[in-house]
Amino acid sequence: MRKRAFRTGPWDETIRARRSIPHGRFPPLDAFQSELVALLPRLRRLARALARNEADAQDLVQEAVERALAKRRGFQAGTRLDSWVFTIMRRLWIDQGRSRTRWNKVVTPEDAFTSQQPDASQAGEALRADALAVQRALKELPDDQRLAVALVLIDGLSYAEAAEVAGVPAGTLTSRLVRGRQALVARLGEAGVAA
Amino acid sequence: MTVSDQELYAWLDGELPPARAGDTERAVAADPALATRAEQARRARSLLAEGFPVVADPRDQALARLILDGPARRPMFSLPEGLRWPQLALAGAAAAACFGVGLSIGLLKPETPPLIGQGGALADAALVRVLDSRRAVDGADARGRAVGLTFQDAEGRWCRTFAAGEAGLAGLACREGEGWKAEVVAPFETAGTELRTASADIPAAVLAAVDASAASDPLDAQAEAELLARWKGE
Repeated sequence: MRKRAFRTGPWDETIRARRSIPHGRFPPLDAFQSELVALLPRLRRLARALARNEADAQDLVQEAVERALAKRRGFQAGTRLDSWVFTIMRRLWIDQGRSRTRWNKVVTPEDAFTSQQPDASQAGEALRADALAVQRALKELPDDQRLAVALVLIDGLSYAEAAEVAGVPAGTLTSRLVRGRQALVARLGEAGVAA
Repeated sequence: MTVSDQELYAWLDGELPPARAGDTERAVAADPALATRAEQARRARSLLAEGFPVVADPRDQALARLILDGPARRPMFSLPEGLRWPQLALAGAAAAACFGVGLSIGLLKPETPPLIGQGGALADAALVRVLDSRRAVDGADARGRAVGLTFQDAEGRWCRTFAAGEAGLAGLACREGEGWKAEVVAPFETAGTELRTASADIPAAVLAAVDASAASDPLDAQAEAELLARWKGE
């Protein structure tokens, strides 16, 4: 209806004149592929929150995407792709942690902080000292608390969604989140950052 | 009323049922010490959002290529000559960044809705409004959203180039029904960190899409205004 109305407008002749020029329409985006691409910024953010450094974060994103593509048949259309891929990433991250020496047992927080710096400048973020302090405070949390904080407070998942991704009961997720947040507030307070 | 941290945080995160949320809200309002705890927790959350922003990363383009060049599950179409997957690849990333950067702080939970509906429909309501009503001469709004060229494609759909400056993205969307379908979205090509505020640097991928799909010359300012007025009246 609308299209017909448009074609009776003053543009009509122009359109007719151009009609003979061959050009294709864009194909529809494949839902799985486009949603996965759409997830990339969030995947990278989650990886940055979980991994100990930028190189590991990149590995996590890359491996999560490869795994998601390989396991595509396992994804149920109509369910949440973000939860599905986040769960893949969480498993990879745990494997990563098992296979390597725990970073926070061999590196001082200062080193971790320093290693953050190039990332920040590379990402071009004019991060204030407060934001750097919170990055550092997050990295000091135990893994399970860091995961809970990253999923809920950084990505914005609901408690129920975060519990599913973390693979734990909702009550467990909630208590990890509470402990992680208490520790963050305390550390930010010590750093003179919190309100 | 004693409020545990768990209760307080759940309230801040929007996880309490309405009745308990009301109780907590009143308790916080009545108790300065509790209000301070709430403020600290809220501040921690806002700093986390700041410390872990969604940023367009150049490596995401390589990943997008990997995703879109992968074995096609159901090859239903062929690409128009001269167009390659990577041009389409960032459509999703665009919308994601729109939402991610707009991550809100405070009581409201950041929204994580599906970013692109079936078939690539734009899901960012604010961007849809801009496409529906903003003139090119208006420039960018407070969050760097702007429109550029307006034209019709071969099927009579109206298409507009747009910039989502805060997200660092530009694209081309065409009007279908009541919504807009993202045809192509790409990051601004200029490197840099400051917010892009104008439609000045339309990425080459977007320009190529305009060239490929434009069936009419772009509207001039007056024709554009008439078209927008007509949409408003629909």
